[in-house]
Amino acid sequence: MISIALQQDVAMKLDLNNLTDEQKALQIKNLNLFYGDKQALKDINMSIPKGQVTAFIGPSGCGKSTLLRCINRMNDLVENCKVEGEIFLNAQNIYAKGIDVAALRRNVGMVFQRPNPFPKSIYENVVYGLRLQGIKEKRKLDEVVEHSLRSAALWDEVKDRLHDSAFGLSGGQQQRLVIARSIAIEPEVLLLDEPTSALDPISTLVIEELINDLKNKYTVVIVTHNMQQAARVSDQTAFMHMGELIEYTDTNTLFTTPDKKKTEDYITGRYG
Amino acid sequence: MMKEWFRSGTPWIWLTGGALSISLIAVIGLLAMIAVKGLSYFWPAQVMQFEVEGFVPKQTVIGEVYDSEIVPREQLSAAGYDLSAFNNAEFKRLLIKTGNREYVDLDFRWILTTDIKSQSTPSGLAVIERSKNGYFYGYISAVIKNGETITENNQAVLNSLIERAVALNKQAHKLQSDDIGKINYQLEQLRLTQKGYELDNEFTPARAAEIAKQQKQLYKQSQLLETELFALREQAKRDQVVVTDMRNEQVTLEISEVLAIWFPNDMSVFDKLGHYFMQLGKFVSDDPREANTEGGVFPAIFGTVFMVMLMAVIVTPFGVVAAIYLHEYATKNAFTKMIRIAVINLAGVPSIVYGVFGLGFFVYVLGGSIDQLFYPESSPTPVFGTPGVMWSALTLAILTLPVVIVSTEEGLSRIPSSIRDGSLALGATKIETLWRIVIPMASPAIMTGLILAVARAAGEVAPLMLVGVVKMAPSLPFDGNFPYIHLERKFMHLGFHIYDVGFQSPNVEAARPLVYATAFLLVSVIIALNITAIRIRNRLREKFITLEH
Repeated sequence: MISIALQQDVAMKLDLNNLTDEQKALQIKNLNLFYGDKQALKDINMSIPKGQVTAFIGPSGCGKSTLLRCINRMNDLVENCKVEGEIFLNAQNIYAKGIDVAALRRNVGMVFQRPNPFPKSIYENVVYGLRLQGIKEKRKLDEVVEHSLRSAALWDEVKDRLHDSAFGLSGGQQQRLVIARSIAIEPEVLLLDEPTSALDPISTLVIEELINDLKNKYTVVIVTHNMQQAARVSDQTAFMHMGELIEYTDTNTLFTTPDKKKTEDYITGRYG
Repeated sequence: MMKEWFRSGTPWIWLTGGALSISLIAVIGLLAMIAVKGLSYFWPAQVMQFEVEGFVPKQTVIGEVYDSEIVPREQLSAAGYDLSAFNNAEFKRLLIKTGNREYVDLDFRWILTTDIKSQSTPSGLAVIERSKNGYFYGYISAVIKNGETITENNQAVLNSLIERAVALNKQAHKLQSDDIGKINYQLEQLRLTQKGYELDNEFTPARAAEIAKQQKQLYKQSQLLETELFALREQAKRDQVVVTDMRNEQVTLEISEVLAIWFPNDMSVFDKLGHYFMQLGKFVSDDPREANTEGGVFPAIFGTVFMVMLMAVIVTPFGVVAAIYLHEYATKNAFTKMIRIAVINLAGVPSIVYGVFGLGFFVYVLGGSIDQLFYPESSPTPVFGTPGVMWSALTLAILTLPVVIVSTEEGLSRIPSSIRDGSLALGATKIETLWRIVIPMASPAIMTGLILAVARAAGEVAPLMLVGVVKMAPSLPFDGNFPYIHLERKFMHLGFHIYDVGFQSPNVEAARPLVYATAFLLVSVIIALNITAIRIRNRLREKFITLEH
């Protein structure tokens, strides 16, 4: 309890508009995104602090997932999608020319709405990213598997059946496996795109606890539909509406004394 | 009331169920007919002895009843029969296989049942299967073993003599085709080497001497083997058997030409079963004889399976790669749509057109160029510039390419994008995602395409007649001579064998059961190939079970 309170204290002291370079994990500058003619993100500017959980909330279609997918350039795969502006990760613009997108994605992991394990064993799922990097040493792989699964709070449940198919796991376990798979390659940033929307309440609780543990090592950005969840797990929250960033501040403030009318309407349930 | 019944949907159930039943009956009926007609050929039928007199002069006819039919009176009258003694409106006649081809005018004859004075199935009637001139029917009167005539109790002696002759013949055949064949092959290679040197103006005296030396050695070996071969043949010719035929004349047959002898009228059901499976085994494993109307079909089975597998090896990578480009890389516009439609339409082109293309492009252009480039020493005899098993496989690969492309594409589009995204989000490039995730997951669909391709290719005959199938191939496309697989050789095919035996053979009556037997075998081969592929697919499906929801 004390440590959480302390962290919240630290979070409250952060001035999100004037983060130092050390505190910054990501900086988004003048980001505009178009799907064909339709503008989905309008001039987004924000800085995401290191080692904390940042939540994006907002009604359906507000662009929160799109923004998240900009951070590891998953939008590149969408046809007719055009991105303008800059996102800095370690002072490097990830939309600059000549950026190795695969290397970027190794640095910015992502977990999707629905659990998407590969049709392989649990073990092979976890080491997939390492095998891509050409790591073959069995001892190293074993080590990473155990460490990642422990970090994802899955080790005790699966340690006896590492070589069984990942499809034998429950939905919640699969989602934790996907998280383990993402942290096996030790990214700096972990993007979670509504990670619990397809899960039952108990699995959701487990994942939320996991997110709390993860922020010590990783910068976590989470998109969620569920405001209670945002309030429970995040240090700061960004509210988005119609492609615009309406309000971005620490979670406590946003949920107790929001600045903007739209935010208040949304969190009190008068909207959407 | 009627309206109610229609609204209830019952008529639709009957209609759809009926359509399905009719299809089922058609398939089962077809298989059953081919199976019964084809498989009954090997059953040792009773040999009948008829005493005939009437429209034909008084005589004895011995043979198997092959067929019977009803002939109307008018037809017989028109054929010049004087029917005043009968008042039947219809007559029955039997088709008798009398064998003994070189001693009678026809080895099949029709006899009217009104002509049959008596009929019996006498004990001791022998059926003799010969390597030349087909079956012989008659009574064994004596066996001549090494010049000494044995008349008493000769069945056991006869069987052992036949076994001996068969074994010797087999040995001689092996010697001729394997050992002497190998030497001939090496001699041909030497000749080609020499010609190659001459063409390059590098035929130095030293090389000439070396080649001459090797040739001399090979000739010497060959002579030795030939002496051995003649000795074996001479040994095989030692014994004879004397048979009384239906003309009541004594005929002496060489035992070296006898393949088997049996007495169907004296056989129990178990003897017959044993005989049946032996004949069936011979049919599957022997080479054809007598212009394909007798013997086995082993080269045709081998050719069919070999060609289809070769085709599968060619078509799978091509089709899969093409489908991957079309689905994963090509931008989706009107042009790719057109390509897709063109690919699907390719499947509708008549197969003979592929045959013409194969002959014109693969055989003459491609094969001709290969000959010019790599085999100038063989000219004017073409090596690849003539129909062969490789060109057949390639032609059928093009024919089945659309099937593989379409089902691979379908498989690729069924893979959820979330799984691809998962891989990309871990830092995989597109090609890594394809190799590690997408293609393995699409493999059941690829196998489905392959199954359809194999089913189509194995049944195709028309294009093959232009690009590689022959009535009788002297050697298999696979043997003990380096490089072991000879893709330029012509081959035999079960489908073509059916056509050849049924419609091109000099003795259509004799060959008809073989047509059914071969057809049954072809169907079995295709089913076996398909079942193998389906089992592989099911195994893959189990592995990637996610696709099924």
